[in-house]
Amino acid sequence: MDKSFGIVNDNMKKNRKYKSHNNIGNRISGTSNFFINLLFVFNCILCIAPILLIIVISLTDEKELLVYGYSFFPDKFSVKAYDYVFTAGDTIWRAYGVSILVTLVGTLLSVLVICFYAYPLSRQSFKYKNFFSFFAYFTMIFGGGLVPWYMVYTQLIPIKNTIWIMIVPYLMNAWYMMIMRTFFKTTIPESIIESAKIDGAGEFRTFFVIVLPLCKAGVATIALFCTLGYWNDWWLPLVFITDNKLYNIQYLMYQTLNSIQYLASGSAQFSESSKVLADLPTEGARMAIAVISIGPIIFAYPFFQKYFIKGLTIGAVKG
Amino acid sequence: MSRTKKIYSVALLIILVLSLTLSACVPVVPGGGTTTTQPDTSGQTGPAVKLTWYLVGNRQEPDTPKVLAEANKYLKDKLNVELELNVFGWGDDYDQKTNTALAAGEPIDIVFTASWAANYNVNATSGYFKELNAYIEKYPAIKDILGEDFLNGSAINGKNYAVPTNKEKVHNWGYLLKKDLVDKYDMDVSKITSIESLEPFLKIIKDNEPEITPVCIATMDAPFQLLDWDRISDDDVPGALYPDNRDSTIINHFLAPESIEHYELMRDWANKGYIHQDAATMQNQSELMKSGTFFAASQSLKPGKDAEVEATTGIEWVQVDVTRPVMSNRETTGALLAIPAASRNPEKAFQLIELLYTDKYFKNLIDYGIEDVHYKKVSDNVISLIDPDNSPYNPGHGWKFGDQFKDYLMDNEDPAKWEKFLEFNDAGLVMNSLGFMFDKTNVETEISSCKNVVQAYYKQLFTGAVEVAPTIEAFKKELVGAGVDELIAEMQRQYDEWRK
Repeated sequence: MDKSFGIVNDNMKKNRKYKSHNNIGNRISGTSNFFINLLFVFNCILCIAPILLIIVISLTDEKELLVYGYSFFPDKFSVKAYDYVFTAGDTIWRAYGVSILVTLVGTLLSVLVICFYAYPLSRQSFKYKNFFSFFAYFTMIFGGGLVPWYMVYTQLIPIKNTIWIMIVPYLMNAWYMMIMRTFFKTTIPESIIESAKIDGAGEFRTFFVIVLPLCKAGVATIALFCTLGYWNDWWLPLVFITDNKLYNIQYLMYQTLNSIQYLASGSAQFSESSKVLADLPTEGARMAIAVISIGPIIFAYPFFQKYFIKGLTIGAVKG
Repeated sequence: MSRTKKIYSVALLIILVLSLTLSACVPVVPGGGTTTTQPDTSGQTGPAVKLTWYLVGNRQEPDTPKVLAEANKYLKDKLNVELELNVFGWGDDYDQKTNTALAAGEPIDIVFTASWAANYNVNATSGYFKELNAYIEKYPAIKDILGEDFLNGSAINGKNYAVPTNKEKVHNWGYLLKKDLVDKYDMDVSKITSIESLEPFLKIIKDNEPEITPVCIATMDAPFQLLDWDRISDDDVPGALYPDNRDSTIINHFLAPESIEHYELMRDWANKGYIHQDAATMQNQSELMKSGTFFAASQSLKPGKDAEVEATTGIEWVQVDVTRPVMSNRETTGALLAIPAASRNPEKAFQLIELLYTDKYFKNLIDYGIEDVHYKKVSDNVISLIDPDNSPYNPGHGWKFGDQFKDYLMDNEDPAKWEKFLEFNDAGLVMNSLGFMFDKTNVETEISSCKNVVQAYYKQLFTGAVEVAPTIEAFKKELVGAGVDELIAEMQRQYDEWRK
């Protein structure tokens, strides 16, 4: 396994060297280099500024927020918002734990299921390739609708109100499967599989020992997508979870923001709405929850980054 | 590799995927689309009947299991039922969960519903709620407490699909004025008897307090509400009756002479600088009021509203009642409990609902939690929370179900609150339209296009941000284009039919 991966690595290095030699001739001029850099710096600021603003708001004094609105440079700082978050009991931490568990288990299972489906489809020798391709593709175009879907998970497979309901519906994703299939197809030459077969490896051994290690970049890309998908999901708890012990962090945040928005919009025509509104977390506290929920997922990026770009370009669907 | 082996692999793959999903099965309450009703176990013997209750609120309170355990001990002897209470967030959260569960025929036993949550009208007419008339006759306590008028107010075509909370049954409109400023300039608020009689006071503020904006407006929370149109449909749908029962003609209240006159007044106020310039884009009146930079705000009122808003904004207010209290559809469908058609034990569920009207202990247990754990009794009917800042059970459920007049009062509330409420209820004028429910199905398109037009124009008009005459002209034209005439005609037709 190490050997084969080493060969690919060497190839990549050679490739890079070759390219950089080639590039000296048509290197871009200093001025355009400067402007391109400027463009990207500007782009970066656009991306980072809102996150910074959220962090600053979460640290701004509540009264000042009401009177002067949002500002990057508030006059008065306060950590009261975080006080709220840390004293609000174990609800938030519990939700945090649920999110982490679901993301880890979900990503692992989901990558496994997607690879198991994609790999046979990438093999020329698999007879029912077309049928299973179409089977997956079909689900991308047609869905059963909300209520039948709901009934599947409440009556056919009764996993409503368990941790599994946040994992199972996203296990298979036809789109990721197709990316993965293309990735297998383009990265693994049939001859490698043949040679493994000649050396006496069975199908499973070939897959786990030869194919998967060679496709690390693709797997990492899909894993990142899945991680993000599971971490950011609030839709499944919204529909299926009625037990507050199983709320995840995104859903908790969604619930709070949505409640505030709804009550403030005046759609709720009952006389107590203003009273109820005052019991909900303040602007600062909401931003503090947002900051905390960014937490672990921001560390996932550098981890996957190494493979991400390669995975995206190679795995791109080419038909 | 042999073909059988390949097929074997495929089969393995499928089994693996399936086993993944199936191994996830944990036995829970079996879902059932069946509507078979078990016979009610009469008497208090046998295993307790399980009842599920969906309710809207801020959150599921951390101590809910404790409170339910206590409640279930009590209920075991009373009705032989075991209650499960689920609280979901406002708006989308509650609607999504409840509507999906209702549509899928899940056996829930009690749901909170209203004109603004788990849409009462739509769910009732779609057959998701059980008709309760037979139970209301069999267990008459609720009818005695609510009164026939009010109970009929929430009926659809003479059938009750839910029972309303017994609370304030009327509403009126008026102003809240910032108390420190009222005191400072020694204002005689009894002179304020109409929208425009507020003006001299606004002038005082404008001339003397450069930091303070005289009037606070955001979205529908505008002095326009003081005209108190008896609306047929949502707030932003044209079509209303005069609030004094003068006739039965439905008009487009956004373009009624009184409304246009009001827009002119607001334009005048805006020109004089009484209204903040960004009023038309503001979203949340109560947030604005918290900032302490506003003098007056229009509000829907009831006894003790000033104290209530003081608690939420941290600022003292003076309450000025302007319009006359009326009993309209706004109140009758403001908070209801319904029994879904898929419930397996509708009779037990109804008996439980009845307890919320008749049993003071049970009602307060759900409202405030357990005595000496969550609250302490100050006197017979007055309580104080043990940990007011971070109470593990303070859901604020009081107004959502049952008989609110049986609730304990908090120590910071007016001890005569319920007496004042009852007085307020008696003073109310009953609208002729009480109990009329507009069925939108025939005019869905007209309603949604009219809504769009109203949404585009009302903020400018309510806040005096634009010249009135040309805007009204354009508003009218667009509304006619959106089919307002057909809409009003349909409302009139249904209303006339209902009156017969």
